[in-house]
Amino acid sequence: MEFENRQPQEGINTVRENPLLVFFKLLVGAIIIIVVLVIILQFSGSWIAKKVPFRYELALMEKVDMEFGTTDNSAELEAYLNELGVRVAQALSLPETMSVQVHYDSSEVFNAYATIGGNLLFYKGLLKKMPNENTLAMVMAHEIAHVMHRDPIAGLGGGVASMVALMVLTGQSGTGAAGNVLNQTGMLTSTQFTRKMEEAADKAALAAMVNLYGHTNGANTLFELMENVAGDSAVPNWLERFAATHPLSADRAESVVLQSIENNWPTDGVLTALPENYSLWLRGNL
Amino acid sequence: MLVTNLEILPGHKIVRHVGLVQGSSVRSKHVGRDIMASLKNIFGGELQGYTELLQESREEATKRMMLQAESIGANAVLNVRYSTSSIAAGAAEIFVYGSAVELDI
Amino acid sequence: MIQLGIFISLLIVGFLFGRIAEKRHFKSIVARELASNSLVAVASRFPPENENYEQHLVVGNVVVASDYFKSAMASLINFFGGRVTPFESLLDRARREAILRMKHEASLLDAKFVFNVKLETSRIATGQVGAVEVVAYGTALTKPAMHVEAISS
Repeated sequence: MEFENRQPQEGINTVRENPLLVFFKLLVGAIIIIVVLVIILQFSGSWIAKKVPFRYELALMEKVDMEFGTTDNSAELEAYLNELGVRVAQALSLPETMSVQVHYDSSEVFNAYATIGGNLLFYKGLLKKMPNENTLAMVMAHEIAHVMHRDPIAGLGGGVASMVALMVLTGQSGTGAAGNVLNQTGMLTSTQFTRKMEEAADKAALAAMVNLYGHTNGANTLFELMENVAGDSAVPNWLERFAATHPLSADRAESVVLQSIENNWPTDGVLTALPENYSLWLRGNL
Repeated sequence: MLVTNLEILPGHKIVRHVGLVQGSSVRSKHVGRDIMASLKNIFGGELQGYTELLQESREEATKRMMLQAESIGANAVLNVRYSTSSIAAGAAEIFVYGSAVELDI
Repeated sequence: MIQLGIFISLLIVGFLFGRIAEKRHFKSIVARELASNSLVAVASRFPPENENYEQHLVVGNVVVASDYFKSAMASLINFFGGRVTPFESLLDRARREAILRMKHEASLLDAKFVFNVKLETSRIATGQVGAVEVVAYGTALTKPAMHVEAISS
């Protein structure tokens, strides 16, 4: 018996291919699948969630017993905000089965949001910057419009559905770094939906302003304030437009003007002042 | 090509050992199968998707080993051993190797 | 956005360095294999019977890591299923390197053959890091030292 070592041919246990080409093909394919999936889930998720009657939302919030904001020393302010809320709700013609509850939080955040059960939360940081009632009413109308459109519950439904799907798909321990990118893709697709909601809420809010005050003066101040707060960002506008959950402030201000022209709404009129003690109420909660 | 895990072939004479030949194959199933498998993990039982996956891998690895043997002029592979290892989550490798020999037939 | 930037730059770094390293490694493997083919390593367990040999266990091992590009590509392939080619070349390299190291140990003993070569593969780094260890071991047969032969004969 003889023994020798011969050199087997190369390339039997490996495959020759262009790795970059294959990589991009796979990546594009995966992104398309994720985007389509998220769109479908967002649609069906929010559609189903919107079928849930509003009173279930209320019952749910009662069960959860969530605390909103800080209650100390803000009774007068909250009373005023709720009174304004009722007026704005009327102007929006909020269905009778629905109601809103306004809360106040003394954090220095420039923000306000609407959540399940018609609960609105206003932060001190935002309230402090309000120059007049019209602008505050615009914020209020925007948030109540979200409640009216059932956006909080729809966002929850669509969001949960697509989040679960993304987690199952990309959370598989084998997907690793690329899974992360796919996850981000899915999230980005989701934000396109919330932007649609924002636009609709802006539109409804502006109509409510006209019902309430007879003109749209003061609405734009909100977006100017928002722009100032956000400051200049390094990201180019088109990219920000695509990645943000809200439309750009400048775009929103522009659509206010356009909508006013379209409907022949006067853009100037007498601004309503905030209550006399407004700034005192805010200062009292340092 | 004769592939066996015996070392002596009754009735044949091994003329020459020509070296170690190996074949390997790494494969994975698509996410759908992975999800089904993780569901199946609750109930237990055979994961047919993975059985199939490893079977395909094994066939390919064997084919590659035979190709290597052929490329060095062997007509049989003796003392063949298989091994399976998990390389990354969801991907399994099948590796097979053996002694390539020239038999007189 | 920053995350995406990090991902892309890691991909590029992984791709370039991984590719260069792999090419260089394969080149070196082939050169060393050709040089070491005179030392015969086989999976057979039956050494030539008509001669006296001393036996030594020889081992060679290597741990190779996958680069970022390979891992990312593997995870994409995992999404669709199919042949995970980036890892196939990684394993091929690892295995041949381990055998070469085993042979090197045998050559230091002045061995003529390595019999019953066995290979073991294991994944050693868990999580997202892909690293595999390959161990090659076998029995090196060396000619007994002169005086031993004199006594026995």
